[in-house]
Amino acid sequence: MNRNLLIWSSALLLLVIACGSGEPLVIKGDKFNDIFPADRDGFTVTVTTEKKGFAQATLKKGEEEMATFAISDLNGDTEAIEKFKASTEQVSGYPIIPRGDSGTAALVGNRFQVQVRSLSGTISESDRKDWLFRFQLDDLAGF
Amino acid sequence: MAFFGLFEDKSIDDYVDKLPEKNITVRALKALDFVAPGEWENITDFDELMRKVTNDTDESFLADVRKKSIEIYEDKSEGYQKAFKIYQRVDSSDKLFGTAALADKLAGKMSLLKFLDRLTPSADTTQTIDLTVKLVSELLAYVKLNGIPGDGIGDFAAALGEYSKESKIRIAALVAFDGLVPLGPDFIDKCGDQVQKLTEGGLEENATFRRIKGFIPSGFGSVEFVKNAFDAASGKLSDFASNSALSRESVVGKLQQFIEVSDDKLDYLGAFLDMTTNYFEHTGLQTVATRVIERAANEA
Repeated sequence: MNRNLLIWSSALLLLVIACGSGEPLVIKGDKFNDIFPADRDGFTVTVTTEKKGFAQATLKKGEEEMATFAISDLNGDTEAIEKFKASTEQVSGYPIIPRGDSGTAALVGNRFQVQVRSLSGTISESDRKDWLFRFQLDDLAGF
Repeated sequence: MAFFGLFEDKSIDDYVDKLPEKNITVRALKALDFVAPGEWENITDFDELMRKVTNDTDESFLADVRKKSIEIYEDKSEGYQKAFKIYQRVDSSDKLFGTAALADKLAGKMSLLKFLDRLTPSADTTQTIDLTVKLVSELLAYVKLNGIPGDGIGDFAAALGEYSKESKIRIAALVAFDGLVPLGPDFIDKCGDQVQKLTEGGLEENATFRRIKGFIPSGFGSVEFVKNAFDAASGKLSDFASNSALSRESVVGKLQQFIEVSDDKLDYLGAFLDMTTNYFEHTGLQTVATRVIERAANEA
Protein backbone atom coordinates (compact mmCIF):
# COMPACT_ATOMS: atom_id res chain seq x y z
CA MET A 1 0.00 0.00 0.00
CA ASN A 2 1.14 3.49 -0.79
CA ARG A 3 2.68 5.01 2.38
CA ASN A 4 0.62 8.22 2.16
CA LEU A 5 -2.55 6.25 1.71
CA LEU A 6 -1.67 4.23 4.80
CA ILE A 7 -1.15 7.38 6.85
CA TRP A 8 -4.40 8.92 5.63
CA SER A 9 -6.41 5.77 6.27
CA SER A 10 -4.95 5.49 9.77
CA ALA A 11 -5.84 9.11 10.45
CA LEU A 12 -9.35 8.52 9.12
CA LEU A 13 -9.73 5.44 11.32
CA LEU A 14 -8.66 7.41 14.42
CA LEU A 15 -11.12 10.15 13.50
CA VAL A 16 -13.94 7.62 13.18
CA ILE A 17 -13.04 6.08 16.56
CA ALA A 18 -12.88 9.50 18.19
CA CYS A 19 -16.22 10.56 16.73
CA GLY A 20 -17.79 7.19 17.48
CA SER A 21 -17.22 7.58 21.21
CA GLY A 22 -19.50 10.63 21.02
CA GLU A 23 -18.07 12.34 24.10
CA PRO A 24 -14.86 14.01 25.21
CA LEU A 25 -12.15 11.88 26.74
CA VAL A 26 -12.93 12.56 30.38
CA ILE A 27 -10.83 10.71 32.92
CA LYS A 28 -12.63 8.14 35.07
CA GLY A 29 -12.97 8.96 38.76
CA ASP A 30 -11.18 5.84 40.00
CA LYS A 31 -7.97 7.05 38.31
CA PHE A 32 -7.87 9.86 40.88
CA ASN A 33 -7.76 7.62 43.96
CA ASP A 34 -3.97 7.73 44.32
CA ILE A 35 -3.93 11.51 44.02
CA PHE A 36 -5.73 12.10 47.33
CA PRO A 37 -3.59 12.68 50.44
CA ALA A 38 -2.77 9.74 52.67
CA ASP A 39 -4.14 9.35 56.22
CA ARG A 40 -2.11 11.25 58.82
CA ASP A 41 -2.17 12.50 62.42
CA GLY A 42 -5.43 10.76 63.27
CA PHE A 43 -7.15 12.02 60.10
CA THR A 44 -8.53 9.45 57.66
CA VAL A 45 -9.25 10.00 53.99
CA THR A 46 -12.00 7.86 52.42
CA VAL A 47 -12.94 8.04 48.75
CA THR A 48 -16.75 8.22 48.56
CA THR A 49 -17.50 9.05 44.93
CA GLU A 50 -15.91 7.89 41.69
CA LYS A 51 -17.68 9.29 38.69
CA LYS A 52 -16.62 10.14 35.16
CA GLY A 53 -14.27 13.09 35.55
CA PHE A 54 -14.91 13.47 39.27
CA ALA A 55 -13.84 11.91 42.54
CA GLN A 56 -14.63 12.97 46.08
CA ALA A 57 -13.23 11.91 49.43
CA THR A 58 -14.14 12.69 53.02
CA LEU A 59 -11.61 13.71 55.64
CA LYS A 60 -12.57 12.44 59.08
CA LYS A 61 -11.11 12.70 62.53
CA GLY A 62 -12.65 9.88 64.53
CA GLU A 63 -16.32 9.90 63.59
CA GLU A 64 -16.45 13.61 62.72
CA GLU A 65 -16.42 14.75 59.09
CA MET A 66 -13.89 17.58 58.90
CA ALA A 67 -13.61 18.35 55.17
CA THR A 68 -14.29 17.12 51.66
CA PHE A 69 -11.61 16.67 49.03
CA ALA A 70 -12.50 16.66 45.35
CA ILE A 71 -10.79 16.35 41.99
CA SER A 72 -12.69 17.41 38.85
CA ASP A 73 -11.64 17.11 35.24
CA LEU A 74 -12.56 20.54 33.82
CA ASN A 75 -11.83 19.16 30.38
CA GLY A 76 -11.92 22.33 28.36
CA ASP A 77 -14.52 24.22 30.42
CA THR A 78 -12.97 27.60 29.74
CA GLU A 79 -15.17 29.48 32.21
CA ALA A 80 -14.09 27.13 35.00
CA ILE A 81 -10.42 27.49 34.05
CA GLU A 82 -10.61 31.28 33.60
CA LYS A 83 -11.63 31.89 37.19
CA PHE A 84 -8.11 30.94 38.29
CA LYS A 85 -6.78 34.03 36.49
CA ALA A 86 -7.73 35.90 39.67
CA SER A 87 -5.28 33.76 41.64
CA THR A 88 -2.64 35.56 43.66
CA GLU A 89 -1.22 32.51 45.46
CA GLN A 90 0.16 29.11 44.61
CA VAL A 91 0.48 25.70 46.24
CA SER A 92 3.31 23.54 44.86
CA GLY A 93 3.44 25.92 41.91
CA TYR A 94 -0.28 25.61 41.04
CA PRO A 95 -2.61 28.64 41.24
CA ILE A 96 -5.15 28.61 44.05
CA ILE A 97 -8.29 30.66 44.69
CA PRO A 98 -10.90 30.76 47.47
CA ARG A 99 -14.27 29.17 46.63
CA GLY A 100 -16.83 30.73 48.90
CA ASP A 101 -15.79 31.13 52.48
CA SER A 102 -15.23 27.42 53.16
CA GLY A 103 -13.30 26.25 50.11
CA THR A 104 -9.88 26.54 48.51
CA ALA A 105 -9.29 25.27 44.98
CA ALA A 106 -6.17 24.67 42.87
CA LEU A 107 -5.90 24.46 39.09
CA VAL A 108 -3.56 21.64 38.12
CA GLY A 109 -2.12 21.14 34.64
CA ASN A 110 -4.55 23.77 33.34
CA ARG A 111 -7.16 21.00 33.37
CA PHE A 112 -8.00 19.66 36.84
CA GLN A 113 -9.61 21.49 39.74
CA VAL A 114 -8.67 20.19 43.17
CA GLN A 115 -10.73 21.55 46.02
CA VAL A 116 -10.66 21.23 49.79
CA ARG A 117 -13.84 22.36 51.60
CA SER A 118 -14.11 22.71 55.36
CA LEU A 119 -17.08 21.03 56.99
CA SER A 120 -15.87 21.94 60.44
CA GLY A 121 -14.80 25.32 61.77
CA THR A 122 -11.57 23.73 63.00
CA ILE A 123 -10.28 23.36 59.42
CA SER A 124 -8.98 26.84 58.60
CA GLU A 125 -7.93 28.32 55.29
CA SER A 126 -4.28 27.54 56.05
CA ASP A 127 -5.26 23.93 56.90
CA ARG A 128 -6.95 23.72 53.51
CA LYS A 129 -3.77 24.91 51.77
CA ASP A 130 -1.78 22.39 53.78
CA TRP A 131 -4.08 19.56 52.68
CA LEU A 132 -3.89 20.76 49.06
CA PHE A 133 -0.11 20.52 49.34
CA ARG A 134 -0.50 16.86 50.37
CA PHE A 135 -2.31 15.83 47.17
CA GLN A 136 -0.10 14.20 44.52
CA LEU A 137 -0.56 17.30 42.36
CA ASP A 138 2.41 16.66 40.06
CA ASP A 139 1.14 13.16 39.28
CA LEU A 140 -2.25 14.66 38.46
CA ALA A 141 -0.65 17.24 36.17
CA GLY A 142 1.00 14.35 34.32
CA PHE A 143 -2.34 12.64 33.43
CA MET B 1 -44.81 6.17 42.40
CA ALA B 2 -44.61 9.85 41.90
CA PHE B 3 -45.63 11.54 45.08
CA PHE B 4 -49.10 12.91 44.74
CA GLY B 5 -48.34 13.79 41.13
CA LEU B 6 -46.11 16.67 42.16
CA PHE B 7 -42.98 15.34 40.55
CA GLU B 8 -42.64 15.69 36.85
CA ASP B 9 -39.48 16.67 34.98
CA LYS B 10 -38.23 19.63 36.97
CA SER B 11 -34.92 21.04 38.02
CA ILE B 12 -33.41 19.83 41.27
CA ASP B 13 -34.07 23.13 43.06
CA ASP B 14 -37.75 23.00 42.05
CA TYR B 15 -38.09 19.47 43.36
CA VAL B 16 -36.66 20.42 46.74
CA ASP B 17 -38.69 23.64 46.99
CA LYS B 18 -41.89 21.65 46.40
CA LEU B 19 -41.25 19.03 49.08
CA PRO B 20 -44.06 19.04 51.64
CA GLU B 21 -43.26 20.66 54.98
CA LYS B 22 -45.93 18.76 56.82
CA ASN B 23 -47.86 15.68 55.78
CA ILE B 24 -48.31 12.12 57.00
CA THR B 25 -44.84 11.12 55.77
CA VAL B 26 -43.18 13.96 57.65
CA ARG B 27 -45.14 13.25 60.83
CA ALA B 28 -44.31 9.55 60.64
CA LEU B 29 -40.60 10.29 60.14
CA LYS B 30 -40.61 12.84 62.97
CA ALA B 31 -42.06 10.10 65.16
CA LEU B 32 -38.75 8.27 64.64
CA ASP B 33 -36.67 11.18 65.89
CA PHE B 34 -36.02 9.28 69.14
CA VAL B 35 -33.91 6.82 67.13
CA ALA B 36 -31.46 9.53 66.10
CA PRO B 37 -32.36 12.76 67.89
CA GLY B 38 -31.99 15.85 65.69
CA GLU B 39 -30.36 13.83 62.92
CA TRP B 40 -33.00 14.63 60.31
CA GLU B 41 -34.28 18.10 59.55
CA ASN B 42 -37.02 18.27 56.97
CA ILE B 43 -35.36 20.83 54.68
CA THR B 44 -37.78 21.84 51.93
CA ASP B 45 -35.91 24.86 50.60
CA PHE B 46 -33.04 24.43 48.14
CA ASP B 47 -31.31 27.59 49.28
CA GLU B 48 -31.32 26.45 52.90
CA LEU B 49 -30.08 23.00 51.86
CA MET B 50 -27.21 24.59 49.87
CA ARG B 51 -26.13 26.60 52.91
CA LYS B 52 -26.20 23.55 55.17
CA VAL B 53 -24.39 21.26 52.76
CA THR B 54 -21.72 23.71 51.63
CA ASN B 55 -21.15 25.28 55.05
CA ASP B 56 -20.98 28.55 53.10
CA THR B 57 -22.64 31.97 53.16
CA ASP B 58 -20.89 33.64 50.20
CA GLU B 59 -23.81 34.68 47.97
CA SER B 60 -21.89 34.79 44.72
CA PHE B 61 -20.41 31.33 45.36
CA LEU B 62 -23.84 29.96 46.30
CA ALA B 63 -25.24 31.33 43.02
CA ASP B 64 -22.51 29.36 41.20
CA VAL B 65 -23.37 26.25 43.23
CA ARG B 66 -27.07 26.53 42.35
CA LYS B 67 -26.29 26.89 38.64
CA LYS B 68 -23.86 23.97 38.73
CA SER B 69 -26.30 21.80 40.74
CA ILE B 70 -28.97 22.26 38.08
CA GLU B 71 -26.49 21.36 35.31
CA ILE B 72 -25.22 18.27 37.12
CA TYR B 73 -28.71 16.96 37.88
CA GLU B 74 -29.88 17.57 34.31
CA ASP B 75 -27.04 15.50 32.84
CA LYS B 76 -28.74 12.11 32.55
CA SER B 77 -25.42 10.29 32.29
CA GLU B 78 -24.51 11.33 35.84
CA GLY B 79 -26.97 8.95 37.47
CA TYR B 80 -28.60 11.43 39.88
CA GLN B 81 -31.91 11.36 38.01
CA LYS B 82 -31.84 7.57 38.02
CA ALA B 83 -31.21 7.50 41.76
CA PHE B 84 -34.24 9.74 42.31
CA LYS B 85 -36.36 7.54 40.01
CA ILE B 86 -35.44 4.50 42.10
CA TYR B 87 -36.48 6.26 45.30
CA GLN B 88 -39.75 7.34 43.66
CA ARG B 89 -40.58 3.89 42.42
CA VAL B 90 -40.10 2.16 45.77
CA ASP B 91 -43.06 3.89 47.38
CA SER B 92 -46.59 2.80 46.63
CA SER B 93 -48.51 5.53 48.41
CA ASP B 94 -51.97 6.43 47.14
CA LYS B 95 -52.77 10.12 46.75
CA LEU B 96 -56.50 9.91 47.28
CA PHE B 97 -56.14 7.65 50.27
CA GLY B 98 -53.60 9.95 51.89
CA THR B 99 -55.85 12.97 51.38
CA ALA B 100 -58.87 11.15 52.80
CA ALA B 101 -56.90 10.00 55.85
CA LEU B 102 -55.68 13.52 56.53
CA ALA B 103 -59.18 14.96 56.13
CA ASP B 104 -60.59 12.58 58.66
CA LYS B 105 -58.83 13.76 61.75
CA LEU B 106 -60.43 12.98 65.08
CA ALA B 107 -59.33 15.26 67.92
CA GLY B 108 -56.06 16.00 66.14
CA LYS B 109 -55.47 12.36 65.28
CA MET B 110 -56.16 10.44 62.12
CA SER B 111 -58.42 7.52 62.67
CA LEU B 112 -57.42 4.29 61.07
CA LEU B 113 -60.70 2.55 61.95
CA LYS B 114 -62.67 4.32 59.24
CA PHE B 115 -60.35 2.97 56.58
CA LEU B 116 -60.19 -0.66 57.65
CA ASP B 117 -62.27 -1.80 54.70
CA ARG B 118 -59.80 -0.17 52.33
CA LEU B 119 -56.70 -1.61 53.98
CA THR B 120 -55.36 -5.09 53.43
CA PRO B 121 -52.47 -6.10 55.66
CA SER B 122 -49.81 -7.79 53.52
CA ALA B 123 -49.17 -11.48 54.04
CA ASP B 124 -45.77 -11.99 55.72
CA THR B 125 -44.34 -13.47 52.52
CA THR B 126 -45.26 -10.34 50.53
CA GLN B 127 -44.03 -7.99 53.25
CA THR B 128 -40.67 -9.77 53.62
CA ILE B 129 -40.04 -9.52 49.87
CA ASP B 130 -41.17 -5.88 49.94
CA LEU B 131 -38.67 -5.02 52.65
CA THR B 132 -35.90 -6.93 50.90
CA VAL B 133 -36.63 -5.19 47.60
CA LYS B 134 -36.60 -1.80 49.36
CA LEU B 135 -33.18 -2.61 50.80
CA VAL B 136 -31.98 -3.59 47.32
CA SER B 137 -33.41 -0.32 45.96
CA GLU B 138 -31.42 1.65 48.51
CA LEU B 139 -28.33 -0.19 47.27
CA LEU B 140 -29.17 0.58 43.63
CA ALA B 141 -29.65 4.28 44.40
CA TYR B 142 -26.40 4.31 46.39
CA VAL B 143 -24.52 2.89 43.40
CA LYS B 144 -26.01 5.52 41.07
CA LEU B 145 -25.15 8.34 43.48
CA ASN B 146 -21.58 7.28 44.10
CA GLY B 147 -20.64 5.79 40.75
CA ILE B 148 -19.32 2.63 42.38
CA PRO B 149 -18.24 0.10 39.73
CA GLY B 150 -19.58 -3.49 39.66
CA ASP B 151 -22.47 -4.58 41.86
CA GLY B 152 -21.51 -2.15 44.66
CA ILE B 153 -22.75 -4.59 47.31
CA GLY B 154 -19.62 -4.56 49.50
CA ASP B 155 -19.28 -0.77 49.43
CA PHE B 156 -22.97 -0.33 50.22
CA ALA B 157 -22.90 -2.72 53.16
CA ALA B 158 -19.93 -0.83 54.60
CA ALA B 159 -21.54 2.58 54.00
CA LEU B 160 -24.90 1.58 55.51
CA GLY B 161 -23.41 1.59 58.99
CA GLU B 162 -22.28 5.19 58.48
CA TYR B 163 -25.53 6.62 57.13
CA SER B 164 -26.49 9.96 58.65
CA LYS B 165 -29.16 12.65 58.46
CA GLU B 166 -32.01 11.96 56.01
CA SER B 167 -30.40 8.67 54.90
CA LYS B 168 -30.32 7.44 58.47
CA ILE B 169 -33.97 8.32 59.07
CA ARG B 170 -34.89 6.51 55.82
CA ILE B 171 -33.22 3.34 57.08
CA ALA B 172 -34.87 3.81 60.48
CA ALA B 173 -38.22 4.02 58.67
CA LEU B 174 -37.42 0.91 56.64
CA VAL B 175 -36.68 -1.01 59.84
CA ALA B 176 -39.66 0.47 61.72
CA PHE B 177 -42.47 0.78 59.16
CA ASP B 178 -41.59 -2.11 56.86
CA GLY B 179 -39.92 -4.40 59.40
CA LEU B 180 -40.94 -4.09 63.03
CA VAL B 181 -44.54 -2.86 62.62
CA PRO B 182 -45.80 -5.41 60.09
CA LEU B 183 -43.45 -8.34 60.85
CA GLY B 184 -42.36 -8.01 64.47
CA PRO B 185 -38.95 -8.16 66.16
CA ASP B 186 -37.68 -11.17 64.16
CA PHE B 187 -38.26 -9.40 60.84
CA ILE B 188 -34.71 -9.99 59.61
CA ASP B 189 -34.97 -13.75 60.18
CA LYS B 190 -38.33 -13.81 58.43
CA CYS B 191 -36.83 -11.99 55.44
CA GLY B 192 -33.78 -14.27 55.47
CA ASP B 193 -35.98 -17.38 55.34
CA GLN B 194 -37.94 -15.96 52.44
CA VAL B 195 -34.83 -14.78 50.57
CA GLN B 196 -33.35 -18.29 50.75
CA LYS B 197 -36.47 -19.64 49.02
CA LEU B 198 -36.59 -16.83 46.48
CA THR B 199 -37.33 -17.69 42.84
CA GLU B 200 -37.45 -15.57 39.70
CA GLY B 201 -41.23 -16.10 39.58
CA GLY B 202 -41.68 -15.07 43.21
CA LEU B 203 -39.74 -11.88 42.64
CA GLU B 204 -41.73 -11.06 39.51
CA GLU B 205 -44.96 -11.31 41.50
CA ASN B 206 -43.79 -8.47 43.72
CA ALA B 207 -45.02 -5.10 42.42
CA THR B 208 -42.16 -3.11 43.99
CA PHE B 209 -39.61 -5.41 42.40
CA ARG B 210 -41.20 -5.03 38.97
CA ARG B 211 -40.85 -1.26 39.26
CA ILE B 212 -37.14 -1.28 40.09
CA LYS B 213 -35.78 -4.38 38.36
CA GLY B 214 -34.62 -2.37 35.34
CA PHE B 215 -32.00 -0.74 37.56
CA ILE B 216 -30.21 -3.97 38.49
CA PRO B 217 -26.79 -3.85 36.76
CA SER B 218 -26.59 -5.98 33.64
CA GLY B 219 -24.82 -9.29 33.96
CA PHE B 220 -26.43 -10.17 37.30
CA GLY B 221 -29.39 -12.53 37.70
CA SER B 222 -32.18 -10.91 39.75
CA VAL B 223 -32.42 -13.67 42.36
CA GLU B 224 -28.66 -13.87 42.78
CA PHE B 225 -28.36 -10.08 43.07
CA VAL B 226 -31.16 -9.78 45.65
CA LYS B 227 -29.75 -12.69 47.69
CA ASN B 228 -26.22 -11.30 47.68
CA ALA B 229 -27.40 -7.81 48.58
CA PHE B 230 -29.54 -9.11 51.44
CA ASP B 231 -26.79 -11.38 52.77
CA ALA B 232 -24.28 -8.51 52.77
CA ALA B 233 -26.52 -5.78 54.20
CA SER B 234 -29.05 -7.51 56.48
CA GLY B 235 -26.58 -7.69 59.38
CA LYS B 236 -26.25 -3.90 59.30
CA LEU B 237 -30.04 -3.54 59.32
CA SER B 238 -30.28 -5.84 62.29
CA ASP B 239 -27.48 -3.92 64.11
CA PHE B 240 -29.34 -0.72 63.37
CA ALA B 241 -32.49 -2.03 65.06
CA SER B 242 -30.67 -3.32 68.12
CA ASN B 243 -28.42 -0.27 68.57
CA SER B 244 -31.13 2.34 68.25
CA ALA B 245 -33.79 1.49 70.85
CA LEU B 246 -36.14 0.61 68.00
CA SER B 247 -38.80 -1.88 68.97
CA ARG B 248 -42.30 -2.58 67.74
CA GLU B 249 -43.71 -1.15 70.98
CA SER B 250 -41.64 2.05 70.84
CA VAL B 251 -42.54 2.73 67.21
CA VAL B 252 -46.24 1.94 67.62
CA GLY B 253 -46.36 4.12 70.75
CA LYS B 254 -44.96 7.10 68.86
CA LEU B 255 -47.27 6.57 65.87
CA GLN B 256 -50.31 6.30 68.15
CA GLN B 257 -49.67 9.89 69.17
CA PHE B 258 -51.12 10.97 65.83
CA ILE B 259 -52.81 7.90 64.41
CA GLU B 260 -55.82 6.53 66.29
CA VAL B 261 -55.49 2.75 66.20
CA SER B 262 -56.49 0.19 68.80
CA ASP B 263 -54.06 -2.52 69.80
CA ASP B 264 -56.18 -5.25 68.23
CA LYS B 265 -55.99 -3.52 64.85
CA LEU B 266 -52.22 -3.05 64.70
CA ASP B 267 -52.05 -5.42 61.75
CA TYR B 268 -53.54 -2.63 59.70
CA LEU B 269 -51.00 -0.02 60.74
CA GLY B 270 -48.30 -1.25 58.34
CA ALA B 271 -50.76 -1.18 55.45
CA PHE B 272 -51.91 2.32 56.47
CA LEU B 273 -48.32 3.62 56.48
CA ASP B 274 -47.69 1.95 53.15
CA MET B 275 -50.71 3.70 51.61
CA THR B 276 -50.16 7.13 53.16
CA THR B 277 -46.41 7.70 53.26
CA ASN B 278 -43.70 8.05 50.63
CA TYR B 279 -40.70 8.22 52.92
CA PHE B 280 -38.29 6.74 50.35
CA GLU B 281 -39.20 9.38 47.79
CA HIS B 282 -39.23 12.26 50.28
CA THR B 283 -35.91 11.56 52.01
CA GLY B 284 -34.45 10.07 48.81
CA LEU B 285 -34.87 13.41 47.07
CA GLN B 286 -33.14 15.11 50.00
CA THR B 287 -30.26 12.63 49.67
CA VAL B 288 -29.96 13.12 45.89
CA ALA B 289 -30.06 16.93 46.26
CA THR B 290 -27.44 16.82 49.03
CA ARG B 291 -25.10 14.77 46.87
CA VAL B 292 -25.65 17.01 43.84
CA ILE B 293 -24.95 20.14 45.93
CA GLU B 294 -21.80 18.60 47.46
CA ARG B 295 -20.51 17.87 44.03
CA ALA B 296 -21.53 21.24 42.60
CA ALA B 297 -19.72 23.05 45.44
CA ASN B 298 -16.60 21.04 44.69
CA GLU B 299 -16.78 21.67 40.96
CA ALA B 300 -17.96 25.29 41.06
